[in-house]
Amino acid sequence: MQATEIRSEGLNRAYEITIPAADISARVDLHLVKVGKTLRMPGFRPGKVPMPILKDRYGKAVLSDVLQEAVNETTTSLMKDKGLRAALQPKIEVKDFDDGKDLVYTVAVEILPEIKLAAFKDITLERPTAKVTDEAITETLTRIAAQQRQSEPAAEGHKAAKGDIVVITFHGRTVADGKEHPGMHAHDFSLELGSGQFIDGFEDQILGHKKGESFTVNVTFPDAYQVRDLAGQAAAFDVEIEEIRIPKETPIDDALAKALGMDDLAALRGAVEEQMKAEYGRMSRMRLKRSLLDALDEAHVFDVPQGMIDIELETISRQIESERKQAGAPDEMSDEDREELQSIAERRVRLGLVLAEIGRANGIEISDQELQRAVVQEARRYPGQERKVFDFYAKNRQALDSLRAPLFEDKVCDFVLELARISDVEITAEELAAEDDRPAPKSRQAKKSGGKAAAKSPTEKPEKPAKTAKKSGEKAEEDAEKPAPKAKAAKAKKEK
Amino acid sequence: MAKKEEKKIAEWMYSIIRRPHITEKATLCAAHNQVVFRVAMDATKPSIKSAVESLFGVKVKAVNTLISKGKTKRFRGKPGMRSDEKKAIVTLEEGQTIDLAAGI
Repeated sequence: MQATEIRSEGLNRAYEITIPAADISARVDLHLVKVGKTLRMPGFRPGKVPMPILKDRYGKAVLSDVLQEAVNETTTSLMKDKGLRAALQPKIEVKDFDDGKDLVYTVAVEILPEIKLAAFKDITLERPTAKVTDEAITETLTRIAAQQRQSEPAAEGHKAAKGDIVVITFHGRTVADGKEHPGMHAHDFSLELGSGQFIDGFEDQILGHKKGESFTVNVTFPDAYQVRDLAGQAAAFDVEIEEIRIPKETPIDDALAKALGMDDLAALRGAVEEQMKAEYGRMSRMRLKRSLLDALDEAHVFDVPQGMIDIELETISRQIESERKQAGAPDEMSDEDREELQSIAERRVRLGLVLAEIGRANGIEISDQELQRAVVQEARRYPGQERKVFDFYAKNRQALDSLRAPLFEDKVCDFVLELARISDVEITAEELAAEDDRPAPKSRQAKKSGGKAAAKSPTEKPEKPAKTAKKSGEKAEEDAEKPAPKAKAAKAKKEK
Repeated sequence: MAKKEEKKIAEWMYSIIRRPHITEKATLCAAHNQVVFRVAMDATKPSIKSAVESLFGVKVKAVNTLISKGKTKRFRGKPGMRSDEKKAIVTLEEGQTIDLAAGI
């Protein structure tokens, strides 16, 4: 093998490699001998086929294998010799090859930049923390109580008013074609008046009616309605009120706690506090991690291989594109968006490289046990299908790798955080949650090797605090979230 | 048959030489400058000789032939017979070769 460098600028390298013909034919022979050991050919016992015949029949077929192998081998050895670490798969182009001639090909490769790790001791970070206040707990409890709220039937002749819960049966049709669209009718649907659950005007027109009355409600679907066919259409709903219920306040007391499966109020409070603490802890860790990544991003300046950025960019934009499609927004991405994506992609790749480098330099690895634990955790998210999840990961190496990436990232972050100087700053819970939503480039999920990065959607995080007490109020939550008719529930406004 | 047109390729020659017989044993024969063909059942040694000489452009020293009888086989209980075949072992003059793989 003979290699000459033909280009070397920035991170790009290109080499021309020549493999002599003799070398290749020797490889072919070697391959053929291997093949001939087991080959069945009429007239010959396996392994007894003479070489000339083998060469004649299978030489061509073996040749392509051999070339591939030779090219791969020489490329890796080239990388090793020159001490290069490729950022991506090298691009190989065969320039010249014929039977009995030398093989000449070029390798174009982007190498990983040399990363000089910053001194982690110099990184100063602030860890925002928040205390769980009594008010916050009480607030959460109130919310839980609201979800637990019971109602009692109203007296005969009661006129539906705001805040009441009406149990209605309705059949709707669009005025234009008089057809009933899917989701436009329901039986015994509990609707809280004034909740804004249905489209504008619907609830208002129920106000003042009594139990047992039937009437027609005329509404117009908003232009921004999520069901495209119905957006902007006028519709008429035949509504019958089955029952009117008046909600009853639920006091926060031991009875409530018991209803939620706790021993008494104190235990419930404790559970809520515990949960909120954990939630705050998670948020503060996330914030800390983000600022750490920011710091790392700033501390390390180097050229990032363009190829990796391109791949990352494509991953992100494809994801965003599909998200848009799902959201039904037909408009293309603007140039501005693209530019932002570009910078996000670069940051992700850069951080990915830095994290990988830190991990490499300090021997941070993900052990099989840790990976196993992550799989178990993942499986727990799909109750009833644990078996399937395990199987999926057992069979799918790539999926396993995608689990490994965030683990690795976490571990490296922990490592750096231990070294970095961290000061605690106390802020309120609102601030802690609020700043979490800031629109700045959300690339905290920079992955181990930018290429694979499972780009996290930027819409994924808000509204965590609302779920704080979810577990303890789970039953209540289920009640509250009864499936509303699709076409009508949740106004477009709410969707956002 | 047409002994006089030895050097000319005639159509019947193609029908006489069916195909080369490539087996382990045949490759062993190659060491003795012999080539093995499957030939038509009605081919004679002289006709084989002239056919090989004109088709491959070589000098033939001798031709040996043999008929190997087809095996009796049963198919769905009924007795059947594989067809017989004639093989010709052609010895070439010193220094002559035939590239069998190249085909006729």
